[in-house]
Amino acid sequence: MQTDRLDNGGRIDRTKTLNFTFNGRPYQGFEGDTLASALLANGVRLTARSFKYHRPRGIVGSGVEEPSTLVELLGDDASGNRPVTTVALREGLAAKSVNCWPSPELDVGAINQMFARFLPAGFYYKTFKWPNWHLYEPFIRKAAGLAAAPAEPPKEGHFENRYAHCDLLIAGAGPAGLMAALVAGRAGQRVMLVDEGSEPGGSLLSRNLMIDGKPAMEWVRSVSAELAGLSNVRHLQNATVWGYREHNFVMVNEREPEQPSILERNWRVRAGQVLCATGAIERTLVFGNNDRPGVMLASAVQTYVNRYAVRPGKRAVIFTNNNSAYAVAADMQASGIEIAAIVDSRENPPEVARASVPGVEVLSGQVITTTHGRRRVRAVTVAPAKGGTGRKITCDLVTVSGGWNPAVHLWSQSRGTLAYDQALSTFRPDKAAQSAASAGAADGHLVLAEALRSGAEAGANGGALPDIPASDDLDYAVDPLWQVEQASGKAFLDMQNDVSVDDVHLALREGYDNVEHVKRYTTGGMGIDQGKVGNINIIGTVAMQKGLPLDEVGTTTFRAPYTPVSFGAIGGIREGSVALPYRHTPVTAWNLANGAFMYESGARWRRPGYFPRAGEAFQDTVNRECRTVRNDVGVYDGSPLGTFELKGRDVGRFLDHLYTNVMSNLKVGRARYGLMLSDDGLVMDDGVALRLSQDRWIISTSTGHADAINGHMEEILQTEFPDWNVFITTVTSQWNNATICGPKAREVMQALGTDIDISTEALPFMAFAEGHVADIPARVVRVSFTGELSFEVNVAPRDLLRLWQRILEVGVPFGIAPIGSEANHVLRVEKGFLSLGHEVDGPIDPFDLGLGWAMSKKKADYLGKRSVALRRAGTSNRRELVGVIPEPDRMIPEGGPLTPGGEKKPTEGFVTACVYSTVHDRWVGLALLENGHSRHGETVHVRLNDGVIPARVTPPIHYDAGGERLRS
Amino acid sequence: MTPVVKGSDPDMPYDARIDRLPIYALFDLKGPKEALAAWSKDTLEFPNGPSRLKRRGSAALCHIGPNRWLLRDDLQNEAALSETLRPQDAPAEISIVRVSDTQTFFRITGPDALEVMSIGCTLDLHATVFGPDAVSYTEFFGIKALVLRCEGGFECAVEQSFGNMIEDFLTRAMA
Repeated sequence: MQTDRLDNGGRIDRTKTLNFTFNGRPYQGFEGDTLASALLANGVRLTARSFKYHRPRGIVGSGVEEPSTLVELLGDDASGNRPVTTVALREGLAAKSVNCWPSPELDVGAINQMFARFLPAGFYYKTFKWPNWHLYEPFIRKAAGLAAAPAEPPKEGHFENRYAHCDLLIAGAGPAGLMAALVAGRAGQRVMLVDEGSEPGGSLLSRNLMIDGKPAMEWVRSVSAELAGLSNVRHLQNATVWGYREHNFVMVNEREPEQPSILERNWRVRAGQVLCATGAIERTLVFGNNDRPGVMLASAVQTYVNRYAVRPGKRAVIFTNNNSAYAVAADMQASGIEIAAIVDSRENPPEVARASVPGVEVLSGQVITTTHGRRRVRAVTVAPAKGGTGRKITCDLVTVSGGWNPAVHLWSQSRGTLAYDQALSTFRPDKAAQSAASAGAADGHLVLAEALRSGAEAGANGGALPDIPASDDLDYAVDPLWQVEQASGKAFLDMQNDVSVDDVHLALREGYDNVEHVKRYTTGGMGIDQGKVGNINIIGTVAMQKGLPLDEVGTTTFRAPYTPVSFGAIGGIREGSVALPYRHTPVTAWNLANGAFMYESGARWRRPGYFPRAGEAFQDTVNRECRTVRNDVGVYDGSPLGTFELKGRDVGRFLDHLYTNVMSNLKVGRARYGLMLSDDGLVMDDGVALRLSQDRWIISTSTGHADAINGHMEEILQTEFPDWNVFITTVTSQWNNATICGPKAREVMQALGTDIDISTEALPFMAFAEGHVADIPARVVRVSFTGELSFEVNVAPRDLLRLWQRILEVGVPFGIAPIGSEANHVLRVEKGFLSLGHEVDGPIDPFDLGLGWAMSKKKADYLGKRSVALRRAGTSNRRELVGVIPEPDRMIPEGGPLTPGGEKKPTEGFVTACVYSTVHDRWVGLALLENGHSRHGETVHVRLNDGVIPARVTPPIHYDAGGERLRS
Repeated sequence: MTPVVKGSDPDMPYDARIDRLPIYALFDLKGPKEALAAWSKDTLEFPNGPSRLKRRGSAALCHIGPNRWLLRDDLQNEAALSETLRPQDAPAEISIVRVSDTQTFFRITGPDALEVMSIGCTLDLHATVFGPDAVSYTEFFGIKALVLRCEGGFECAVEQSFGNMIEDFLTRAMA
């Protein structure tokens, strides 16, 4: 029963009744309601319990400033910690209070109130130290936080990100924002007007004001209609500008896009200029028990009365220090709420204010010292501000207004400065750091006429101003009141975090006297509301206590997000299969269809790890694939290898600079292995260079480093050798390859049919030739990563799948099988071939790897040469590549640390890889070991959590040390 | 890829059609414009400025960086272009590399084409900024991409190995 719904008025649709539940109880509201207005209409006043003390709390605000009542939405709307004032009512909505059990009325946690004196700010810093923090951590973590995050993603729909660009982004469609949009839109600017409310108008939605002699909302309708007709204006409602970054990069969270399948949209906007027309937020007043349900912001009461036709109380006391509460009083009176008194802390409230509520008792120079009641306010005590005897006034609603703060959050995020305005008793925008401006109440223009003018000026941006519509509004005047000094009972500065005046005083006493330190010590200004209604009172309290003016205390940092944003909206459609980038080759679909176990294996490529057959365990599969290559023939897709074509007269000397060995004397048709070093002489990458002609080369890089090496080469060319004639073109995806490897590889090549002479004499190891394979144009390269005879058949990707299938067809008589990365890894470990990320892990140079032969002595200079020479001239021990044979025969985990004697001592190296070798029928490994090259034959020890594994040190090549097989 | 079309599902959020295109003939051209023009025997018609393209018949020559162009044509013309441009014989001061297989093109057309593009593309594609002959490398769903206009919308190319992922993204965007 909507007992507190007014008979008339409001911007609600009374023909559309909506059913909803709150804490399991059924209620009804109307289309256009928020959950807050519907609860108030149903007479629900106790809606929450406070964070720390579990004190009874009610609804305080009417918008994003709400500090007290957070709710958890259930069912299809599942979402945690939503300010009750920002939840639009809809049919079937189910919500519950957070941080209370079993209900706000009977909350077990309320026992905390008995121990409140033992729970001041920072008590946890001092209490949970002995015997150690970890003893308490599980309990504290369980108790921390409010509502839980939803366990499941939404059942239907998806989130979306979108980029946008505009000349002018206006945050806020109140009077100033609308005026600015109108002026800029008419002038042809690309305008983006963004407003967090469900409909435009800002404060005009809640106030009974006139513009050009008509109700202000008629002006809003007219302006909105004109904007809708301008193709250069994009107008978003239910959308919050929540972040303002460098270069006018602004983030907007649109909560109800017009497309039903899109749950929320996050806009990433580059704006030529940003206009902050974000309005102002009313601040609360600080007196005893000012958190009791029924104590509400005056602007919120005005909103509930005028916009939602809800009466939040029957008999009210209004407590203020400024004029705006008088207009609220007039609206409340008109709605039938009895005004018991206006308590004005000013000695002489302006007559113009008093005149707006004739007949209402104004208690000037007085303050509320405390409220009375249990689960809702029943009365207040009022006393002279300067001290004296108080009197009790019964009421069920206390309406407070401590003045107005421009909503400077976005401005401040843009790194614009703030200045304290004595007349307004608040901080307002000062100097811009980017192309940004403020207008309307956000710039301190708290009277409607000023707001409209400032909006027009901002929209015109120095151009001609249109006629500014006439308007009526009460002049604004305020005398600051940061706290009621004779308050009785806890006086809260930050209701969301249960931070009271006493907490701030304690922080100051304990030496946390910078306002940022006060914030961190007390948590004042943190949380979901970010202290929108109370921060300035904390600053004021600090100022009073320290005897400083407010501008010397300063503000804390305003950070994004301005209001909470769903993680889903930030991620957009980047979820599920596209949460991370992935790449495919023309054979990927075949791999999947043939049961390959796929995973990411560098540079986001999805590659087959292995091809399990029925009944095979993982190791069985890998062993089978290894035996296939060692005994018969295998084939793998080597397409992801980084490949670049280099062209120009200076490529030879450029490669001489990049690689440690000489490349410039390579003959056409031949290939050469090379190492690339960084400036500090450490191995960066390895690969093979092919000389196609005098001025054309192909180089390959490791898969994972392809992009980095591309950038590396370009940087060197552009910064060190800009005059050299070298062009680099990435052709990784122009030349895919199938590598046929194993003793029967040549027979498979012959079965495929080729016009290339593939004999050892004509096409020896480290040579290549161009021609056709299986009638497909191809470049065949004799390199080997497995240590076996190998033919790397490079073709255009459009031909790879055809080639691949043909290889597997003709290879059947030779026992061919596809092999995955796991078998490749085993085969290269047997051969002692290095792998980036395993043996090359950053601090390794060629000598450490036993590749000193690749360091040219002929070249005068090359990248990393000097650094290697300097290092080698030193005496420090180096970790050098060795083979290891575990004794007893067992697997050693990669990274297993080697310590002297297996004791708890500093490591002398680690195992880089350990695989089951089918040729040796045992586990073999590689390791980086201090002075390893001189320790062959020694026993070293791998120290693991579950024991110590002895291992014999060997040369790093476990198989075919002479390389006869790969040269065959 | 089966074209994703708004008409096939009225619940789709955007009125647009998305097609994954067959590969084009592509040649990466680098070096001084004059040298490239001379080597091609003036068969290349260069665009008027940076990040612009010049169309001639089915071919488009796109400026994609200082002294760098991308020649695009239908795949059926690849052999003829290769004959004309003779990449393997080109002099040292220029570089001509066939890169037809390196790019996967998508075409996004329809009334909401710009909206769909803006889900993945950071570039300002408004008609007043990105005109009919505009072309640029930019970002599409976090991947380096070439964007140009086509009749009724845009074409967008990504490195071939990301083609499936971009198709995945676009399908999700239209769901």
